[in-house]
Amino acid sequence: MQRNLFAVPAAVVAAALLVAGCGGSSASSGAPAAADSGPATGTITFTGTDNAETYQPVIKAFEAKNPGIKVAYTQIPFDQFNATMQQRLSAKDTGVDVYTVDEPRVSQLAAKGFLVDLSDLDGQVKTGFSAAAYKTNHFRDKLWSLPMWNSTQFLFYNKTALAKAKVTPPTADPQQRWTWEQVEAAGRKAMQSGGTKYGLFMEQPEAYYQLQPLAESLGGGSGIEGDDALTPAVETDGWKKAMQWYGATFASGLSPRGIGGFQTGPVFAAGDVAFFVGGPWDLKIFGSSKIDWGVAPLPYFQGGKPVTPTGSWSLGINPASKQQAMARKFLEFATLDPAGNLATTSTTTIIPANVEAQKQYTPTMDAFSGAKTAGAAAITTYESEHTAVSRPVSVGYIQFEEVMGKTFADIRNGTNPDTRLQEATRQLTDAWKSIK
Amino acid sequence: MKQRQGLIALAFLAPALVCLAVLRIVPAISAVIESFYTESLLRGGRVFAGLGNYTDLLSNKDFRQSVGVTLLFTVLVNPIQVVVSFLLAVLFTQRAVGSKLWRTLVILPIATPPAVSAVIWSVIYRPDGLANGVLERLGLPAQPFLTSSGQVLPSLIVLLSWIGVGYWMLFLIAGIQEVPVEVREAALLDGAGAWRRMVSVILPLVRRPLAFVLVADTVSNLLVFAPVQILTKGGPNGNSNLLMYDVYSRAYAIGDIHVAQAEVVILVALTLAIVAGQFRLLRGDQ
Repeated sequence: MQRNLFAVPAAVVAAALLVAGCGGSSASSGAPAAADSGPATGTITFTGTDNAETYQPVIKAFEAKNPGIKVAYTQIPFDQFNATMQQRLSAKDTGVDVYTVDEPRVSQLAAKGFLVDLSDLDGQVKTGFSAAAYKTNHFRDKLWSLPMWNSTQFLFYNKTALAKAKVTPPTADPQQRWTWEQVEAAGRKAMQSGGTKYGLFMEQPEAYYQLQPLAESLGGGSGIEGDDALTPAVETDGWKKAMQWYGATFASGLSPRGIGGFQTGPVFAAGDVAFFVGGPWDLKIFGSSKIDWGVAPLPYFQGGKPVTPTGSWSLGINPASKQQAMARKFLEFATLDPAGNLATTSTTTIIPANVEAQKQYTPTMDAFSGAKTAGAAAITTYESEHTAVSRPVSVGYIQFEEVMGKTFADIRNGTNPDTRLQEATRQLTDAWKSIK
Repeated sequence: MKQRQGLIALAFLAPALVCLAVLRIVPAISAVIESFYTESLLRGGRVFAGLGNYTDLLSNKDFRQSVGVTLLFTVLVNPIQVVVSFLLAVLFTQRAVGSKLWRTLVILPIATPPAVSAVIWSVIYRPDGLANGVLERLGLPAQPFLTSSGQVLPSLIVLLSWIGVGYWMLFLIAGIQEVPVEVREAALLDGAGAWRRMVSVILPLVRRPLAFVLVADTVSNLLVFAPVQILTKGGPNGNSNLLMYDVYSRAYAIGDIHVAQAEVVILVALTLAIVAGQFRLLRGDQ
């Protein structure tokens, strides 16, 4: 007995070492090393969050145009993408050649040496993309990634439920945009009349991308300020008001708690919610649902201004890649070449970032799901010209997004918004201490 | 001859020893070393920080809460899982109709990866999910489960027990089946009831597997990660922010690898302290 029990601590030490091993190796910093641009033919790997079907058309078109180069796509689910990439890039994993880059993360990825400098393409990006897309892919006056997609948000509404509640639905005209107060009142009517379980639901209820417009609509700012963009500013009146309203939508049952990730869209598609805030990708996804629905512009707060989110994924090259010449070819085809850029959007209905591709693409949006999507093209054009606000450019954006995501989750679950925002300021100050 | 045998043994052991060194010992040493350094993204370069990362962590409210939550979780989950595993093992070693089928059903969740189990339970715990459906049938009010600061830890304990109990039960079933038939028969002849036989005969004779289950279960529960990451992300308000998830979050989400490594060292120290305590208690009873 005695002898056998002595074996146990040995097992524990081994297990403890396993824990220690999970710490991983140190992240490198500084400029990326200039690498050999590698062979002209072979297979490159492309890593992103979307399912494989999304990129099949662009990969097929690229391979047809570039015989000898194959592209293998690897999907990492959205929830795990940023953390996994952080891990793989810091380990100088050569298994990643091209990867999707969330635009506000460009600064930190570049600062950490996780992106190849693409400044020689600066001129082409300046003329081929919007000013916002051009700017967000820069850090310290250098170009680090090429914009692939753009986005906006729509207010989807359940026509049947609103008719049952005797509510006239919002129109697609941006000049007649509803306020959040109107949406809330109409949503409650739909719930009371028994048309739906919930009044309003956002597709990404804990994501900064979708909630930034609430605070910005009330003049609350982006949440980041200062010359180095490393000073938290989430306790402004606009942020407090927006978060009080947001928390109350869950406390009152207007929006459901406990449903997150990618379980939100099906709630609308099942006819359980009157109003749903979602992106252009939903224009086709909801087309296969059995409910009758329409699209309207994203609401704003009464007395505030209309603000809509923008930006999406860019493409970047891993400095540890041994096949950078081929990786660049693919990157340029998928972004700078209008045909290639359009091919990235042929299965997922997301807006192409290339201006030329966008011109061809936007008019088709109205017909994505028959009459249901009427007006989507005009809304998209209007928002990109008048209301689109990018996420803040900061070397500390990654920490910001993590802290804010948890803050939104807690507010959604019933924590007092004012004290939680105060807590967020403390957490941001702590997290940014190591960057400064 | 002996020397030759030793060399042959070493050759057979070499792959395992190399793997142990490369995959475990080297990263562990590196984690300890890196935990004494810090790196600034704006200024660049790695500088020696001494115990700076440790003092930063200890003065951090979120980290202290994480330690508290982990200790509370450990105190609750291990006795529950060991007791339930033992009771099930006793139950499923009885000669009763269908006990083999039940045993298989309890073991089944082991075959499901933790991430898949977490996804299944995310649907069970939804406001309109299976758990609330059952409560509604029973005429009980709907519960918030994962969205409530008070219910999140018990909800995770239920989920983790669903995954783990069958696994630990296997060791105990093996232990119980090792108990000599004569001993059981003697107890039966002496007129001992079922409870008496379990407490006075079976329990003392399965102490070895029981000790193993307790220690291994404790270590495994200190490493719980996937369900937290998938279901709660440490929330609400940090009430499910177990240390292993906090390490991951600091290292790969927040991106502060050095502080994360300091936290790993603390987690290892905590694991060793708890297990050494358990080991001492078990030895003291000899």
